[in-house]
Amino acid sequence: MNNHIAAAPILRVEDVCKTVATVEGQLSILDSVSLEINVGESVAVVGASGSGKTTLLGILAGLDLPNAGDVWLDGDRVTAMPEEDRARVRGRCVGFVFQTFQLIESLTALENVMLPAELRGRSDAENDARMYLDRVGLADRLSHYPRQLSGGEQQRVAIARAFASRPKVLFADEPTGNLDTVTGGRVIELLFALNRESQTTLVLVTHDTAIADRCDRVLSLEAGRIAA
Amino acid sequence: MRFRFVLKLVARDWRSGELRLLLAAALVAVGAVTAISLFVDRLQQALVAEAATFLGADSVIRSSRPILDEFREAAAARGLAQVDVVSFPSMLFSDDSDDARNQLVSVKAVGSGYPLRGTVRIADEPFGRDRATDTVPALGSVWLDSRLFPALGLSLGDTVSVGYAKLRVTRVLTAEPDRRPSFLDLGPRLLMRVEDIPATKLIQPGSRVSYRLLLAGETETLADLRDSIKADLAPNYRWRNVRDSSPTIGGALDRAESFLLLGGLLAVLLGGAAVALAAHRYARRHYSHVGVLKTLGATPADILWAYVGVLLVIGIVGVLAGLVLGILVHLGIVAALATYLPVRLPWPGPDPFVVGGVTGFVCLGAFALPPLLNLRRISPMRVIRREPDRGLSNAITYGFAGVGSIGLLVWYSQSVWLMTWALAGAAVVCSSFAVVALGLLRGGRLVGMQAGSAWRLALAGLQRRRRENVAQITIFGLAIMILLILLLVRTALLDEWRSQIPQNAPNHFLINVAADEVGAVQDLLREHTDYDGSLFPMIRGRVITVNGEPARGWRAREGERGEDLGPGLGSERNLTWSDDVPGDNAVVQGDWWSADTAEALISVEVDYARGNGLRVGDMLEFDIGGLPVSARVANLRRVEWDSLQPNFFIVFSRAALAEFATTHMTSFHLEPDRKPFLNRLLAAHPTITVIEVDAIIDQVERIIDRVTRAIELILALVLGAGALVLIASIQASHETRMKEHALVRALGGTRSLIAGALAGEFAVLGAFAGIVAVLGAEITVFALQTRVFELEYEIHPWLWLAGPAVGTLLIAGVGYLGTRKLVRSPPVLVLREL
Repeated sequence: MNNHIAAAPILRVEDVCKTVATVEGQLSILDSVSLEINVGESVAVVGASGSGKTTLLGILAGLDLPNAGDVWLDGDRVTAMPEEDRARVRGRCVGFVFQTFQLIESLTALENVMLPAELRGRSDAENDARMYLDRVGLADRLSHYPRQLSGGEQQRVAIARAFASRPKVLFADEPTGNLDTVTGGRVIELLFALNRESQTTLVLVTHDTAIADRCDRVLSLEAGRIAA
Repeated sequence: MRFRFVLKLVARDWRSGELRLLLAAALVAVGAVTAISLFVDRLQQALVAEAATFLGADSVIRSSRPILDEFREAAAARGLAQVDVVSFPSMLFSDDSDDARNQLVSVKAVGSGYPLRGTVRIADEPFGRDRATDTVPALGSVWLDSRLFPALGLSLGDTVSVGYAKLRVTRVLTAEPDRRPSFLDLGPRLLMRVEDIPATKLIQPGSRVSYRLLLAGETETLADLRDSIKADLAPNYRWRNVRDSSPTIGGALDRAESFLLLGGLLAVLLGGAAVALAAHRYARRHYSHVGVLKTLGATPADILWAYVGVLLVIGIVGVLAGLVLGILVHLGIVAALATYLPVRLPWPGPDPFVVGGVTGFVCLGAFALPPLLNLRRISPMRVIRREPDRGLSNAITYGFAGVGSIGLLVWYSQSVWLMTWALAGAAVVCSSFAVVALGLLRGGRLVGMQAGSAWRLALAGLQRRRRENVAQITIFGLAIMILLILLLVRTALLDEWRSQIPQNAPNHFLINVAADEVGAVQDLLREHTDYDGSLFPMIRGRVITVNGEPARGWRAREGERGEDLGPGLGSERNLTWSDDVPGDNAVVQGDWWSADTAEALISVEVDYARGNGLRVGDMLEFDIGGLPVSARVANLRRVEWDSLQPNFFIVFSRAALAEFATTHMTSFHLEPDRKPFLNRLLAAHPTITVIEVDAIIDQVERIIDRVTRAIELILALVLGAGALVLIASIQASHETRMKEHALVRALGGTRSLIAGALAGEFAVLGAFAGIVAVLGAEITVFALQTRVFELEYEIHPWLWLAGPAVGTLLIAGVGYLGTRKLVRSPPVLVLREL
């Protein structure tokens, strides 16, 4: 099959199944999930704990592989690729914002944001990073280490890092899950604002319906299936 | 991925302190090995040089024929230093009058430049305080042994006659480096110039003369010379060097090398263990880092090369810094031991630096590479969902470490036995450790349930981290085991060396005692020394036939091949007769004869008999002073050669030698401060010859003393490496401990509860490690002692108390010091830092 198709959806999922082995036998996490997400669209994935949201996000982003089914990301059939190639696809078109921020402790805010560009060997990494940190309001925190920043500040650094890689698709996994309501609100505003400016496709996993409602579309997962 | 990114990764990890432990471990491993190698290299060169003084040279060509000019030319062409020495016995006359007193002396005629190694010592009066000199007697003059002055009634400045030459006595000779006890070396020494020999007209065809060409220079050059003249050497010229000239020194050097090598190897393995712990910790702390990099598009290959790059940078920096550290440490050692070391240590060769460098990279490759290689397999999913990390398989971890360790062991030791037994010890220990440690941990938990809360916490902690603790007990146990092995082996070596020279061993030999002097000499000895031996008759002779067959053919056909089987059958030997079994001899086959036997019987030393194929009942024909004597082998004897008592390969029954006039000999012990007794003895019996062995023993003791100090130093370095392993392994569990104890404190645990639990946990860990270490040490030392050092083995009961005690104190002490920060920190701070 041709791995590259010139289709409008940036993300296409066909009959994806994921099971994991437990002591009680095989446990189905995702069951025949199919969906399409178009360029520039913002989609919220909601569902109860254990409904398979995070697993779906991992598979959509090419971090994990399903047991069955296929995923096309930016025209590439990532499910048919080895990890080496999937990493290149991620590097080319994917950005992440995580619930637990996932900043590298040994790097300053500036260095954390520079990291994606550095990995690609780009020479303008620092200017770009400064610009994005300025955009998220942390121009005066460039040389601070993650442990010297508050939770909200850390997530803003993570958002700057995500957009600094100029992604086509941004995956956000419970971006406010570790923040208080007020801070979470500010962070989500920033995320949506930057998303609009960059015209990035956004896939947001959350169980906060207020946040989900701000997206163009809401996909509800129940016991591994997309509810109608 | 760009190399620049690797450098940035290194710089950032360095800044955050993540690489410091790894670099410190690499640094110490390389530093310790380099310091040991440098010190050992220079000390060995010095020891060889010191041992060379026994020869007065690095190598010697020896013969009863004049040295060929081809040898001199070949040596000169290679730039080797050379000097001639000619030795022969002669009568020395106090003057040329008819009533001149005379004495048999051992003449040593030397060329200028003698000796090439070591120094000649002289005094300005007989038995006076001596000093070193770098000169030899001037032409036309001689230096004489102290004993010749009273014996011949001489003073400095007198003229003596040696053959036809008249030579002036200018100095008292007290020692020269290549003086050795030999019955061919008859009489006190006379040192003269080789250029004066023709004037003496003493050397005639048939004279018994020993010619030697002393040589000194690079080992390789000497070996080259030896190869090039090999064809001309055989069969009349013998080549000797330090190792084969003196079995005692050769053996001591070999053992010292084995030991220092063992010390070096242990430091490498401990350094390797520290590197492994530091690398595992570094890798564990980078799981999330790698997960994030992967989500950002880093491929597994990028990750692999990034961390191999980090290791390479650490390796280069660690090796370079380690070499510098090694040089500094070794200079420190040299400075600290300056007063004990030979005056000038030779410069080191390049080998120690190569050893240090290669060791550093092999260590990092074998111990640090596996956990870093594993990083490429970290799943990027771990950043969004905590997944159990696929740990590194034990096969890979231990496989790499095993291959690296074996590689280094083989490279250094080039001794299959040493390697095999060291590995056997390690294998037995590691598997026993796993089993015993698990058992101890399980048992500990049962006991812990009955104990107070601090102990319960401690034992629960041990139990919870069972896998890590089994590994830590293995490493702690290994470190303690190595220290115990060093201690035991060191003691064994020293004991062995000391036992080579028995206390109050005879240090003087008397020969040439006429039959009518025996009673008087014996009385004098008993009066002035602790002497309680007897004088042995002595006569020279050689075996001509065995059971009617020529001796040479007999030996070739019947004799056993191998080392240490004594000299050949046909050479001239000292023979004696005796009515009784000599002092510390024991008959092992056949029976001793009755004192009144009229039969011609002989008793043969058992190794000499084996080497020459002699059995009880064989008939031997001897040539003694030109007369044939036949005797039957009545028994075989075992002889205690180490006792330094007079001993003979062949002892006759009295009847066999009744017709021959013999001189007598004996040996006795004399303290240095009672040396003047020799004057009195020689004044009363001027024809007696005294051989002083104590000077030789002094030299041996000096060498052993220096080797001992070197060993103590290596022990200290290995201890340092062991301490580093402790610190690295405490660091490895630091984060988990911090977290747990902060939680306990947050839940209301008191500071003393935490402190008690920590101390208890480390103490129990240490005690467990100590128990298994003792087990491993006993097994390994048994193997080393019986196989490598060829010593007897005894179990060490004190070890079973000392091992666990040392383990407890050491680990509880270092562990508590390493973790007291978390006891002192408020829990809120600790939790925030995690």
